[in-house]
Amino acid sequence: MTPALPLALLGLTDAAFSGFRAYAGRDARIRKGRANVRAALRGLAVGAVLLLVPALAAVLWLAAAADRDRAYDTLAAGGRGFLLPLTCYAVAVALSLAAYFLLPFRAGTLAMVIGLGPLTLLRPLAVAAGCLAALLNGGGRPSLLVAGLAGAAVLCVEPAVHRRWYREVR
Amino acid sequence: MDRLEISDLIVAFDPHDGRRLPVRRAEVVEQLRAAGDARAARIVAGLPAGPDGVLEPAAVDRLLIGVHTELQRLSEELRIGRRLVHLLGPLLTAIRTTGVRGPYRLVDVGCGLGYLIRWLAATGALGPDVELVGVDLDAALVGEADRLARAEGLSCRFVHGDAFALPEAATVYVSTGVLHHFSEPALADFFRAQGASPALAFCHYDIAATGLAPVGAWVFHRARMRHPLGRHDGVASARRAHSDEALLRAAAAAGMRALLYEPRRAANPFCTTLRPVLAVRPPLEAPLRAALGRASRRLLGDEHFTPAAA
Ligand SMILES: C[S@@+](CC[C@H](N)C(=O)[O-])C[C@H]1O[C@@H](n2cnc3c(N)ncnc32)[C@H](O)[C@@H]1O
Repeated sequence: MTPALPLALLGLTDAAFSGFRAYAGRDARIRKGRANVRAALRGLAVGAVLLLVPALAAVLWLAAAADRDRAYDTLAAGGRGFLLPLTCYAVAVALSLAAYFLLPFRAGTLAMVIGLGPLTLLRPLAVAAGCLAALLNGGGRPSLLVAGLAGAAVLCVEPAVHRRWYREVR
Repeated sequence: MDRLEISDLIVAFDPHDGRRLPVRRAEVVEQLRAAGDARAARIVAGLPAGPDGVLEPAAVDRLLIGVHTELQRLSEELRIGRRLVHLLGPLLTAIRTTGVRGPYRLVDVGCGLGYLIRWLAATGALGPDVELVGVDLDAALVGEADRLARAEGLSCRFVHGDAFALPEAATVYVSTGVLHHFSEPALADFFRAQGASPALAFCHYDIAATGLAPVGAWVFHRARMRHPLGRHDGVASARRAHSDEALLRAAAAAGMRALLYEPRRAANPFCTTLRPVLAVRPPLEAPLRAALGRASRRLLGDEHFTPAAA
């Protein structure tokens, strides 16, 4: 199975959350539902553009390879490696979010204190672990490059959205 | 020595008329250095000042509004509003059952941007017979609170004033994240003034003083706040938080029945980021416990604390 689709889904979901975070803390109004959605869409748009870079790098590398099947297998192995730590991270986030929204507020606080807060700080580490796993899973240098580009793209979404739309407190 | 909070030092007000006083940047930097806080000193040294060395008031106001806006995000994520209603709902029920006629007035002392008051107004969580008022010493913050409330058409009010002079009479005084700004003697004065007022109760939430608090504050302010000032003050405030015992001792000065809800011994520190010290007129305690139901087991008075435990 090609890991491209789940990777793209994960990357875009992360971009939407990044958009939300870029806006959070910039608007003290109480009712922010629409503004939150708009921020998430902005993150999604920026993420979609930035993620074209690793996608293009992968396509170019495949196009230039002498043995395309082998090159594809190498990239796919790297992609599966990349996916593993990121999936663990995504599951941890999803569980924390579910606990936060579904459980009573005391347990919700717990989900925030030991889940969502620290997980935000651990995001760059999860990306780094993904890159390492891409290499170790037999993806070689091309996978490391593509993974590095994808990781950088994903980590750039929040600062980019923040700088473009949410520099000032409203 | 207690850590200092930058936001306490870069604004000053005349205690008598609330006028803004000039603050010399070099003096604040020196004070922070003398307290051994080089990082805070660097943050202040980077703030804009005029040719006379006085911190620019407009720039300081903008900065503090920005930091408080980020702070509000933490309150939103930690659902401070709901946490408060969990206790204040039953408290108001108790007040209603004792035959005191409404409307009741809830005053949030040191309301900052007024998140709590505006959230209560937006959700109507306490009922239509509760008038909502926010008070703060900082004119720029209450001004912004008022602007935000009007922008969303919320029915609540904001007043510029000092917590120790109680500019607004209340049925219930509340606050969040304010107590750690006061020293222990000042805290007793703060509670005493409320005890001497006609208020029936007060309920002040502050950071639970656990070993975990500074670590949690570091993680949260690092993950959720952008300005170094907010990050610094977040951890400093967790370090300064008063212990359960100190709060109960100070609250006793009010001459009411002083209680703690969810103190350390009755709550998991991972689930309790802010917890309140409260005091009620003695006839209110029984109806409050009845209205709280099973949760009233988390409401402890000084009989649960040994005097030596301070
Ligand atoms: C850490 S902020 C908390 C703001 C808000 N309650 C919140 O939870 O976000 C403390 C607030 O207390 C205010 N404050 C400090 N001393 C005060 C006093 N003596 N009277 C009124 N407000 C005071 C400050 O201006 C500041 O806005």
